[in-house]
Amino acid sequence: MDATPPITAAAAPPAPRSLHRFANPGRFLRASGRVLPWLSAAAAGVLAAGVAWALAFSPPDWQQGETVRIMYVHVPMAWLAMGGYLALALASAAALVWRHPLADLLARELSPVGAVVTALCLATGSLWGRPMWGTWWVWDARLTSVLVLFFLWLGHAALVRAFDEPERGARAGAILALIGVVNLPIVKFSVDWWNTLHQPASVTRLGAPAMHVEMLYPLLVCALGFALAFAALVLARTRAAVMERRIRALELARARREERGMAA
Amino acid sequence: MTLHWAHVAASYALAALGLGALALGAWLRHRAARRRLAALDPRAAARDGAA
Amino acid sequence: MTRKRRRLAILLLCGLGLGSATALTLAAFRDNLVFFLSPSDLAAKPPPADRAFRLGGLVEAGSVERATGADGRPTARFRVTDGAHAISVVYAGILPDLFREGQGVVTLGRLGPDGVFHASEVLARHDETYMPPEVADALKRAGHWDPSQGAAPPAGGWNTLSPRPGG
Repeated sequence: MDATPPITAAAAPPAPRSLHRFANPGRFLRASGRVLPWLSAAAAGVLAAGVAWALAFSPPDWQQGETVRIMYVHVPMAWLAMGGYLALALASAAALVWRHPLADLLARELSPVGAVVTALCLATGSLWGRPMWGTWWVWDARLTSVLVLFFLWLGHAALVRAFDEPERGARAGAILALIGVVNLPIVKFSVDWWNTLHQPASVTRLGAPAMHVEMLYPLLVCALGFALAFAALVLARTRAAVMERRIRALELARARREERGMAA
Repeated sequence: MTLHWAHVAASYALAALGLGALALGAWLRHRAARRRLAALDPRAAARDGAA
Repeated sequence: MTRKRRRLAILLLCGLGLGSATALTLAAFRDNLVFFLSPSDLAAKPPPADRAFRLGGLVEAGSVERATGADGRPTARFRVTDGAHAISVVYAGILPDLFREGQGVVTLGRLGPDGVFHASEVLARHDETYMPPEVADALKRAGHWDPSQGAAPPAGGWNTLSPRPGG
Protein backbone atom coordinates (compact mmCIF):
# COMPACT_ATOMS: atom_id res chain seq x y z
CA MET A 1 0.00 0.00 0.00
CA ASP A 2 2.46 2.59 1.25
CA ALA A 3 5.08 1.59 -1.30
CA THR A 4 2.91 2.78 -4.20
CA PRO A 5 3.75 6.40 -4.87
CA PRO A 6 0.85 8.73 -5.46
CA ILE A 7 0.05 9.22 -9.13
CA THR A 8 1.45 12.72 -9.20
CA ALA A 9 4.77 11.53 -7.83
CA ALA A 10 4.99 8.65 -10.32
CA ALA A 11 4.49 11.06 -13.19
CA ALA A 12 6.77 13.74 -11.76
CA PRO A 13 9.75 15.00 -13.78
CA PRO A 14 13.00 13.13 -13.15
CA ALA A 15 13.40 13.70 -9.43
CA PRO A 16 16.01 11.64 -7.58
CA ARG A 17 13.30 9.16 -6.62
CA SER A 18 12.20 8.34 -10.16
CA LEU A 19 15.84 8.25 -11.33
CA HIS A 20 16.35 5.53 -8.77
CA ARG A 21 13.32 3.77 -10.15
CA PHE A 22 14.81 3.70 -13.63
CA ALA A 23 18.29 2.68 -12.50
CA ASN A 24 17.40 -0.98 -12.49
CA PRO A 25 15.53 -0.98 -15.83
CA GLY A 26 18.57 0.77 -17.33
CA ARG A 27 20.76 -2.11 -16.31
CA PHE A 28 18.11 -4.46 -17.68
CA LEU A 29 18.17 -2.68 -21.04
CA ARG A 30 21.95 -2.94 -21.29
CA ALA A 31 22.09 -6.61 -20.29
CA SER A 32 19.11 -7.70 -22.41
CA GLY A 33 20.43 -5.73 -25.38
CA ARG A 34 23.52 -7.92 -25.35
CA VAL A 35 21.58 -11.19 -24.84
CA LEU A 36 18.69 -10.68 -27.27
CA PRO A 37 20.55 -11.07 -30.61
CA TRP A 38 22.19 -14.29 -29.45
CA LEU A 39 18.92 -15.61 -28.03
CA SER A 40 17.07 -14.86 -31.28
CA ALA A 41 19.79 -16.46 -33.40
CA ALA A 42 19.83 -19.56 -31.17
CA ALA A 43 16.04 -19.82 -31.37
CA ALA A 44 16.07 -19.55 -35.18
CA GLY A 45 18.88 -22.09 -35.52
CA VAL A 46 17.49 -24.69 -33.13
CA LEU A 47 13.98 -24.26 -34.50
CA ALA A 48 15.15 -24.70 -38.11
CA ALA A 49 17.03 -27.87 -37.18
CA GLY A 50 14.15 -29.20 -35.08
CA VAL A 51 11.46 -28.57 -37.70
CA ALA A 52 13.61 -30.10 -40.47
CA TRP A 53 14.21 -33.17 -38.28
CA ALA A 54 10.53 -33.39 -37.37
CA LEU A 55 9.23 -33.00 -40.93
CA ALA A 56 11.82 -34.81 -43.01
CA PHE A 57 14.08 -37.03 -40.95
CA SER A 58 11.86 -38.57 -38.29
CA PRO A 59 9.89 -41.77 -38.93
CA PRO A 60 6.09 -41.93 -39.21
CA ASP A 61 4.13 -43.55 -36.38
CA TRP A 62 3.00 -47.13 -36.81
CA GLN A 63 -0.68 -46.19 -36.50
CA GLN A 64 -0.87 -42.40 -36.88
CA GLY A 65 1.26 -42.38 -40.03
CA GLU A 66 2.52 -38.97 -41.09
CA THR A 67 -0.06 -37.15 -38.96
CA VAL A 68 2.21 -37.76 -35.96
CA ARG A 69 4.27 -34.78 -37.18
CA ILE A 70 1.65 -32.43 -35.71
CA MET A 71 2.89 -33.64 -32.32
CA TYR A 72 6.23 -31.80 -32.80
CA VAL A 73 4.33 -28.49 -32.68
CA HIS A 74 1.48 -29.43 -30.36
CA VAL A 75 3.50 -30.83 -27.45
CA PRO A 76 6.05 -27.95 -27.22
CA MET A 77 3.14 -25.47 -27.34
CA ALA A 78 1.43 -27.34 -24.50
CA TRP A 79 4.64 -27.34 -22.42
CA LEU A 80 5.16 -23.63 -23.12
CA ALA A 81 1.55 -22.78 -22.29
CA MET A 82 2.03 -24.32 -18.85
CA GLY A 83 5.66 -23.38 -18.25
CA GLY A 84 4.94 -19.83 -19.40
CA TYR A 85 2.02 -19.60 -17.01
CA LEU A 86 4.29 -20.73 -14.18
CA ALA A 87 6.69 -17.93 -15.15
CA LEU A 88 3.74 -15.50 -15.15
CA ALA A 89 2.78 -16.63 -11.65
CA LEU A 90 6.37 -16.24 -10.41
CA ALA A 91 6.63 -12.76 -11.94
CA SER A 92 3.28 -11.86 -10.39
CA ALA A 93 4.41 -13.04 -6.98
CA ALA A 94 7.63 -11.03 -7.35
CA ALA A 95 5.60 -8.00 -8.34
CA LEU A 96 3.20 -8.33 -5.40
CA VAL A 97 5.79 -9.12 -2.74
CA TRP A 98 8.83 -7.08 -3.82
CA ARG A 99 7.08 -4.47 -6.00
CA HIS A 100 9.73 -4.99 -8.65
CA PRO A 101 8.73 -2.72 -11.56
CA LEU A 102 10.29 -5.08 -14.11
CA ALA A 103 8.18 -7.99 -12.87
CA ASP A 104 5.01 -6.05 -13.67
CA LEU A 105 6.24 -5.24 -17.17
CA LEU A 106 7.36 -8.82 -17.72
CA ALA A 107 3.94 -10.17 -16.68
CA ARG A 108 2.20 -7.65 -18.91
CA GLU A 109 4.28 -8.65 -21.95
CA LEU A 110 4.17 -12.36 -21.17
CA SER A 111 0.42 -12.92 -21.37
CA PRO A 112 -0.24 -12.12 -25.06
CA VAL A 113 2.57 -14.51 -26.05
CA GLY A 114 1.20 -17.13 -23.67
CA ALA A 115 -2.28 -16.71 -25.14
CA VAL A 116 -0.97 -17.24 -28.69
CA VAL A 117 1.00 -20.31 -27.65
CA THR A 118 -2.02 -21.82 -25.87
CA ALA A 119 -4.22 -21.07 -28.87
CA LEU A 120 -1.69 -22.87 -31.09
CA CYS A 121 -1.72 -25.83 -28.70
CA LEU A 122 -5.53 -26.01 -28.94
CA ALA A 123 -5.60 -25.51 -32.73
CA THR A 124 -2.93 -28.10 -33.53
CA GLY A 125 -4.56 -30.54 -31.12
CA SER A 126 -7.85 -30.05 -32.91
CA LEU A 127 -6.20 -30.56 -36.31
CA TRP A 128 -4.73 -33.83 -35.00
CA GLY A 129 -7.90 -34.95 -33.26
CA ARG A 130 -10.16 -34.71 -36.31
CA PRO A 131 -8.48 -37.47 -38.35
CA MET A 132 -7.13 -39.49 -35.42
CA TRP A 133 -9.87 -39.46 -32.78
CA GLY A 134 -12.66 -38.67 -35.19
CA THR A 135 -13.57 -35.30 -33.67
CA TRP A 136 -12.27 -31.74 -33.56
CA TRP A 137 -13.17 -31.27 -29.93
CA VAL A 138 -14.55 -33.06 -26.88
CA TRP A 139 -15.35 -31.66 -23.46
CA ASP A 140 -13.08 -33.97 -21.53
CA ALA A 141 -11.13 -32.83 -18.49
CA ARG A 142 -7.83 -32.25 -20.36
CA LEU A 143 -9.20 -30.23 -23.26
CA THR A 144 -11.52 -28.23 -21.02
CA SER A 145 -8.79 -27.37 -18.52
CA VAL A 146 -6.48 -26.21 -21.33
CA LEU A 147 -9.30 -24.04 -22.68
CA VAL A 148 -9.59 -22.52 -19.20
CA LEU A 149 -5.81 -21.91 -19.27
CA PHE A 150 -6.31 -20.04 -22.56
CA PHE A 151 -9.05 -17.90 -20.98
CA LEU A 152 -6.75 -17.17 -18.03
CA TRP A 153 -4.02 -15.93 -20.42
CA LEU A 154 -6.55 -13.77 -22.28
CA GLY A 155 -8.13 -12.51 -19.08
CA HIS A 156 -4.74 -11.50 -17.69
CA ALA A 157 -3.75 -9.73 -20.91
CA ALA A 158 -7.01 -7.75 -20.92
CA LEU A 159 -7.08 -7.04 -17.18
CA VAL A 160 -3.60 -5.48 -16.92
CA ARG A 161 -4.54 -3.15 -19.79
CA ALA A 162 -7.97 -2.20 -18.41
CA PHE A 163 -6.86 0.49 -15.94
CA ASP A 164 -5.63 4.03 -16.46
CA GLU A 165 -3.04 3.66 -13.72
CA PRO A 166 -0.73 0.81 -14.78
CA GLU A 167 -0.01 -0.04 -11.13
CA ARG A 168 -3.63 -0.95 -10.41
CA GLY A 169 -3.90 -3.06 -13.57
CA ALA A 170 -0.66 -4.83 -12.76
CA ARG A 171 -1.86 -5.65 -9.25
CA ALA A 172 -5.22 -6.96 -10.44
CA GLY A 173 -3.47 -9.03 -13.11
CA ALA A 174 -1.00 -10.43 -10.62
CA ILE A 175 -3.82 -11.56 -8.34
CA LEU A 176 -5.64 -13.17 -11.28
CA ALA A 177 -2.42 -14.92 -12.38
CA LEU A 178 -1.88 -16.33 -8.91
CA ILE A 179 -5.49 -17.53 -8.58
CA GLY A 180 -5.15 -19.23 -11.97
CA VAL A 181 -2.22 -21.34 -10.81
CA VAL A 182 -4.68 -23.90 -9.38
CA ASN A 183 -5.48 -24.77 -12.99
CA LEU A 184 -1.91 -25.95 -13.76
CA PRO A 185 -2.02 -29.21 -11.76
CA ILE A 186 -5.52 -29.79 -13.11
CA VAL A 187 -4.19 -29.56 -16.68
CA LYS A 188 -1.21 -31.76 -15.94
CA PHE A 189 -2.96 -34.51 -13.98
CA SER A 190 -6.40 -34.41 -15.63
CA VAL A 191 -5.43 -37.40 -17.78
CA ASP A 192 -4.50 -39.41 -14.68
CA TRP A 193 -7.25 -38.33 -12.30
CA TRP A 194 -10.20 -38.77 -14.65
CA ASN A 195 -10.85 -40.86 -17.72
CA THR A 196 -10.40 -38.62 -20.72
CA LEU A 197 -10.26 -39.00 -24.47
CA HIS A 198 -6.81 -37.38 -24.38
CA GLN A 199 -4.01 -39.86 -23.84
CA PRO A 200 -1.78 -39.81 -20.72
CA ALA A 201 1.70 -38.26 -20.79
CA SER A 202 4.28 -40.01 -22.98
CA VAL A 203 7.44 -38.09 -22.06
CA THR A 204 7.00 -36.48 -18.63
CA ARG A 205 6.08 -39.62 -16.72
CA LEU A 206 7.68 -42.01 -14.32
CA GLY A 207 9.68 -44.70 -16.08
CA ALA A 208 10.89 -44.77 -19.67
CA PRO A 209 9.27 -42.36 -22.16
CA ALA A 210 6.65 -44.27 -24.18
CA MET A 211 8.04 -42.68 -27.31
CA HIS A 212 10.72 -44.11 -29.55
CA VAL A 213 13.94 -42.09 -29.41
CA GLU A 214 13.76 -41.38 -33.16
CA MET A 215 10.68 -39.29 -32.35
CA LEU A 216 11.65 -38.22 -28.83
CA TYR A 217 14.91 -36.49 -29.86
CA PRO A 218 13.38 -34.29 -32.60
CA LEU A 219 10.55 -33.48 -30.16
CA LEU A 220 13.05 -32.32 -27.54
CA VAL A 221 14.95 -30.22 -30.13
CA CYS A 222 11.67 -28.63 -31.28
CA ALA A 223 10.67 -27.98 -27.66
CA LEU A 224 14.01 -26.27 -26.99
CA GLY A 225 13.68 -24.20 -30.17
CA PHE A 226 10.14 -23.06 -29.35
CA ALA A 227 11.17 -22.30 -25.76
CA LEU A 228 14.08 -20.15 -26.97
CA ALA A 229 11.75 -18.36 -29.40
CA PHE A 230 9.23 -17.79 -26.58
CA ALA A 231 11.96 -16.35 -24.35
CA ALA A 232 13.29 -14.11 -27.15
CA LEU A 233 9.79 -12.81 -27.91
CA VAL A 234 9.03 -12.02 -24.28
CA LEU A 235 12.44 -10.40 -23.78
CA ALA A 236 12.05 -8.21 -26.88
CA ARG A 237 8.56 -7.15 -25.80
CA THR A 238 9.73 -6.39 -22.26
CA ARG A 239 12.63 -4.31 -23.62
CA ALA A 240 10.20 -2.38 -25.80
CA ALA A 241 7.91 -1.84 -22.82
CA VAL A 242 10.78 -0.53 -20.66
CA MET A 243 11.79 1.89 -23.41
CA GLU A 244 8.18 2.98 -23.94
CA ARG A 245 7.82 3.73 -20.24
CA ARG A 246 10.97 5.81 -20.29
CA ILE A 247 9.73 7.64 -23.39
CA ARG A 248 6.50 8.52 -21.58
CA ALA A 249 8.45 9.86 -18.58
CA LEU A 250 10.77 11.91 -20.81
CA GLU A 251 7.91 13.34 -22.85
CA LEU A 252 6.07 14.28 -19.67
CA ALA A 253 9.19 15.96 -18.30
CA ARG A 254 9.68 17.90 -21.52
CA ALA A 255 6.03 19.01 -21.53
CA ARG A 256 6.43 20.28 -17.96
CA ARG A 257 9.59 22.17 -18.85
CA GLU A 258 7.90 23.83 -21.77
CA GLU A 259 4.93 24.69 -19.58
CA ARG A 260 7.23 26.30 -17.02
CA GLY A 261 9.11 28.14 -19.77
CA MET A 262 5.82 29.47 -21.06
CA ALA A 263 4.70 30.61 -17.60
CA ALA A 264 8.03 32.40 -16.94
CA MET B 1 -3.39 -45.25 -43.32
CA THR B 2 -4.78 -42.20 -45.06
CA LEU B 3 -2.62 -39.14 -45.44
CA HIS B 4 -3.59 -35.95 -43.69
CA TRP B 5 -1.05 -33.57 -45.13
CA ALA B 6 -3.54 -30.73 -45.05
CA HIS B 7 -3.79 -31.05 -41.27
CA VAL B 8 -0.03 -31.30 -40.83
CA ALA B 9 0.59 -28.35 -43.13
CA ALA B 10 -2.09 -26.28 -41.40
CA SER B 11 -0.53 -27.00 -38.00
CA TYR B 12 2.92 -25.84 -39.06
CA ALA B 13 1.50 -22.88 -40.98
CA LEU B 14 -0.52 -21.73 -37.95
CA ALA B 15 2.53 -21.99 -35.71
CA ALA B 16 4.68 -20.07 -38.20
CA LEU B 17 1.97 -17.45 -38.64
CA GLY B 18 1.29 -16.99 -34.93
CA LEU B 19 4.92 -16.80 -33.83
CA GLY B 20 5.89 -14.82 -36.93
CA ALA B 21 3.24 -12.20 -36.23
CA LEU B 22 4.42 -11.91 -32.62
CA ALA B 23 8.04 -11.58 -33.75
CA LEU B 24 7.20 -8.94 -36.33
CA GLY B 25 5.12 -7.00 -33.83
CA ALA B 26 7.85 -7.13 -31.19
CA TRP B 27 10.49 -6.05 -33.72
CA LEU B 28 8.48 -3.08 -35.00
CA ARG B 29 7.64 -1.96 -31.47
CA HIS B 30 11.24 -2.35 -30.38
CA ARG B 31 12.52 -0.34 -33.35
CA ALA B 32 9.98 2.46 -32.91
CA ALA B 33 10.75 2.76 -29.18
CA ARG B 34 14.51 2.76 -29.84
CA ARG B 35 14.26 5.56 -32.40
CA ARG B 36 11.96 7.68 -30.24
CA LEU B 37 14.24 7.24 -27.25
CA ALA B 38 17.32 8.12 -29.27
CA ALA B 39 15.60 11.31 -30.40
CA LEU B 40 14.50 12.26 -26.89
CA ASP B 41 17.63 11.41 -24.95
CA PRO B 42 20.61 10.54 -27.18
CA ARG B 43 23.13 10.25 -24.32
CA ALA B 44 21.14 7.78 -22.19
CA ALA B 45 20.12 5.79 -25.24
CA ALA B 46 23.74 5.33 -26.27
CA ARG B 47 24.71 4.33 -22.73
CA ASP B 48 22.00 1.70 -22.50
CA GLY B 49 22.68 0.22 -25.91
CA ALA B 50 19.20 1.23 -26.97
CA ALA B 51 20.38 3.46 -29.79
CA MET C 1 -16.45 9.19 -20.35
CA THR C 2 -15.47 7.13 -23.39
CA ARG C 3 -12.37 5.85 -21.60
CA LYS C 4 -14.49 4.96 -18.62
CA ARG C 5 -16.90 3.14 -20.86
CA ARG C 6 -14.04 1.35 -22.59
CA ARG C 7 -12.64 0.24 -19.27
CA LEU C 8 -16.05 -0.93 -18.19
CA ALA C 9 -16.45 -2.89 -21.41
CA ILE C 10 -13.07 -4.55 -21.02
CA LEU C 11 -13.81 -5.40 -17.41
CA LEU C 12 -17.21 -6.81 -18.32
CA LEU C 13 -15.57 -8.83 -21.09
CA CYS C 14 -13.06 -10.15 -18.56
CA GLY C 15 -15.82 -11.06 -16.17
CA LEU C 16 -17.78 -12.70 -18.95
CA GLY C 17 -14.73 -14.70 -20.06
CA LEU C 18 -13.86 -15.80 -16.58
CA GLY C 19 -17.46 -16.52 -15.69
CA SER C 20 -18.02 -18.64 -18.75
CA ALA C 21 -14.68 -20.36 -18.16
CA THR C 22 -15.76 -21.31 -14.67
CA ALA C 23 -19.20 -22.33 -15.86
CA LEU C 24 -17.71 -24.45 -18.62
CA THR C 25 -15.38 -26.11 -16.16
CA LEU C 26 -18.14 -26.85 -13.71
CA ALA C 27 -20.44 -28.14 -16.45
CA ALA C 28 -17.69 -30.22 -17.99
CA PHE C 29 -16.62 -31.60 -14.64
CA ARG C 30 -20.15 -32.52 -13.64
CA ASP C 31 -20.97 -34.33 -16.87
CA ASN C 32 -17.54 -35.40 -18.00
CA LEU C 33 -15.44 -35.99 -14.94
CA VAL C 34 -16.43 -39.45 -15.94
CA PHE C 35 -16.08 -38.88 -19.66
CA PHE C 36 -17.23 -42.41 -20.42
CA LEU C 37 -18.66 -45.48 -18.66
CA SER C 38 -16.96 -48.85 -18.91
CA PRO C 39 -18.90 -52.09 -19.64
CA SER C 40 -18.38 -53.01 -15.98
CA ASP C 41 -19.96 -49.71 -14.89
CA LEU C 42 -22.97 -50.60 -17.03
CA ALA C 43 -23.21 -54.10 -15.58
CA ALA C 44 -23.06 -52.70 -12.04
CA LYS C 45 -25.44 -49.79 -12.55
CA PRO C 46 -27.23 -49.61 -15.90
CA PRO C 47 -28.19 -46.05 -16.90
CA PRO C 48 -31.90 -45.29 -17.44
CA ALA C 49 -33.17 -46.55 -20.78
CA ASP C 50 -33.13 -44.15 -23.71
CA ARG C 51 -30.56 -41.88 -22.13
CA ALA C 52 -27.56 -41.14 -24.35
CA PHE C 53 -24.20 -41.77 -22.70
CA ARG C 54 -20.62 -42.59 -23.60
CA LEU C 55 -19.30 -46.14 -23.49
CA GLY C 56 -15.54 -46.62 -23.42
CA GLY C 57 -13.19 -49.59 -23.49
CA LEU C 58 -11.04 -51.65 -25.83
CA VAL C 59 -12.29 -53.06 -29.13
CA GLU C 60 -12.38 -56.81 -28.51
CA ALA C 61 -9.98 -58.82 -30.65
CA GLY C 62 -11.71 -60.59 -33.53
CA SER C 63 -15.04 -58.86 -32.98
CA VAL C 64 -15.01 -56.25 -35.75
CA GLU C 65 -17.34 -56.89 -38.71
CA ARG C 66 -17.49 -54.20 -41.37
CA ALA C 67 -20.26 -54.04 -43.96
CA THR C 68 -22.00 -51.58 -46.22
CA GLY C 69 -25.49 -50.52 -45.16
CA ALA C 70 -28.56 -50.26 -47.37
CA ASP C 71 -27.91 -46.52 -47.84
CA GLY C 72 -24.37 -47.16 -48.98
CA ARG C 73 -22.86 -46.00 -45.69
CA PRO C 74 -20.26 -48.23 -44.08
CA THR C 75 -21.46 -49.97 -40.96
CA ALA C 76 -19.49 -51.70 -38.26
CA ARG C 77 -20.32 -54.14 -35.47
CA PHE C 78 -17.83 -54.74 -32.73
CA ARG C 79 -17.63 -55.48 -29.03
CA VAL C 80 -16.25 -53.07 -26.43
CA THR C 81 -14.60 -54.77 -23.49
CA ASP C 82 -12.80 -53.82 -20.30
CA GLY C 83 -11.63 -57.36 -19.59
CA ALA C 84 -14.47 -58.28 -17.23
CA HIS C 85 -17.52 -57.39 -19.32
CA ALA C 86 -18.18 -56.73 -23.01
CA ILE C 87 -20.99 -54.98 -24.87
CA SER C 88 -21.92 -55.25 -28.57
CA VAL C 89 -21.92 -51.99 -30.49
CA VAL C 90 -23.38 -51.14 -33.89
CA TYR C 91 -22.36 -48.00 -35.73
CA ALA C 92 -23.08 -46.58 -39.18
CA GLY C 93 -20.51 -44.09 -40.45
CA ILE C 94 -16.83 -43.59 -41.03
CA LEU C 95 -14.54 -44.88 -38.30
CA PRO C 96 -11.56 -42.74 -37.25
CA ASP C 97 -8.06 -43.66 -38.39
CA LEU C 98 -6.95 -45.03 -35.06
CA PHE C 99 -9.86 -47.49 -34.86
CA ARG C 100 -8.67 -51.10 -34.77
CA GLU C 101 -9.00 -54.23 -32.67
CA GLY C 102 -7.29 -53.74 -29.32
CA GLN C 103 -7.59 -49.95 -29.53
CA GLY C 104 -9.35 -47.87 -26.92
CA VAL C 105 -12.59 -46.30 -28.15
CA VAL C 106 -15.22 -43.97 -26.73
CA THR C 107 -18.66 -44.29 -28.31
CA LEU C 108 -21.68 -42.06 -27.82
CA GLY C 109 -25.12 -43.60 -28.13
CA ARG C 110 -28.00 -45.41 -26.46
CA LEU C 111 -28.38 -48.91 -25.11
CA GLY C 112 -31.17 -50.74 -26.94
CA PRO C 113 -33.61 -53.13 -25.25
CA ASP C 114 -31.72 -55.99 -26.91
CA GLY C 115 -28.58 -55.05 -24.95
CA VAL C 116 -26.84 -53.75 -28.08
CA PHE C 117 -25.35 -50.26 -27.90
CA HIS C 118 -26.40 -48.13 -30.88
CA ALA C 119 -23.59 -45.63 -31.37
CA SER C 120 -24.06 -42.33 -33.16
CA GLU C 121 -20.39 -41.44 -32.78
CA VAL C 122 -17.22 -43.51 -32.38
CA LEU C 123 -14.04 -41.83 -31.20
CA ALA C 124 -10.73 -43.69 -31.07
CA ARG C 125 -8.42 -43.10 -28.14
CA HIS C 126 -4.71 -42.93 -28.66
CA ASP C 127 -2.54 -44.54 -26.03
CA GLU C 128 0.70 -42.86 -25.00
CA THR C 129 2.96 -44.97 -27.24
CA TYR C 130 4.72 -43.50 -30.26
CA MET C 131 6.80 -45.89 -32.34
CA PRO C 132 7.98 -46.22 -35.94
CA PRO C 133 6.24 -48.92 -38.01
CA GLU C 134 9.44 -50.97 -38.24
CA VAL C 135 9.71 -51.17 -34.46
CA ALA C 136 6.06 -52.19 -34.15
CA ASP C 137 6.60 -54.86 -36.82
CA ALA C 138 9.73 -56.14 -35.08
CA LEU C 139 7.84 -56.44 -31.76
CA LYS C 140 4.98 -58.23 -33.49
CA ARG C 141 7.31 -60.61 -35.35
CA ALA C 142 9.20 -61.44 -32.19
CA GLY C 143 5.90 -62.25 -30.47
CA HIS C 144 6.37 -59.55 -27.84
CA TRP C 145 3.20 -57.74 -28.73
CA ASP C 146 -0.13 -58.42 -30.37
CA PRO C 147 -1.75 -54.99 -30.82
CA SER C 148 -5.23 -56.54 -31.01
CA GLN C 149 -4.76 -57.92 -27.48
CA GLY C 150 -3.99 -54.60 -25.83
CA ALA C 151 -1.30 -52.15 -24.82
CA ALA C 152 2.30 -52.22 -25.96
CA PRO C 153 4.95 -53.79 -23.70
CA PRO C 154 6.87 -51.51 -21.27
CA ALA C 155 8.58 -48.71 -23.18
CA GLY C 156 12.04 -49.44 -21.77
CA GLY C 157 12.10 -52.60 -23.90
CA TRP C 158 11.62 -50.89 -27.25
CA ASN C 159 12.11 -47.13 -27.17
CA THR C 160 15.76 -47.36 -28.22
CA LEU C 161 15.33 -50.33 -30.56
CA SER C 162 16.88 -49.63 -33.95
CA PRO C 163 14.02 -49.34 -36.46
CA ARG C 164 16.16 -50.37 -39.40
CA PRO C 165 16.43 -54.13 -40.07
CA GLY C 166 19.88 -55.42 -39.21
CA GLY C 167 20.73 -52.10 -37.55
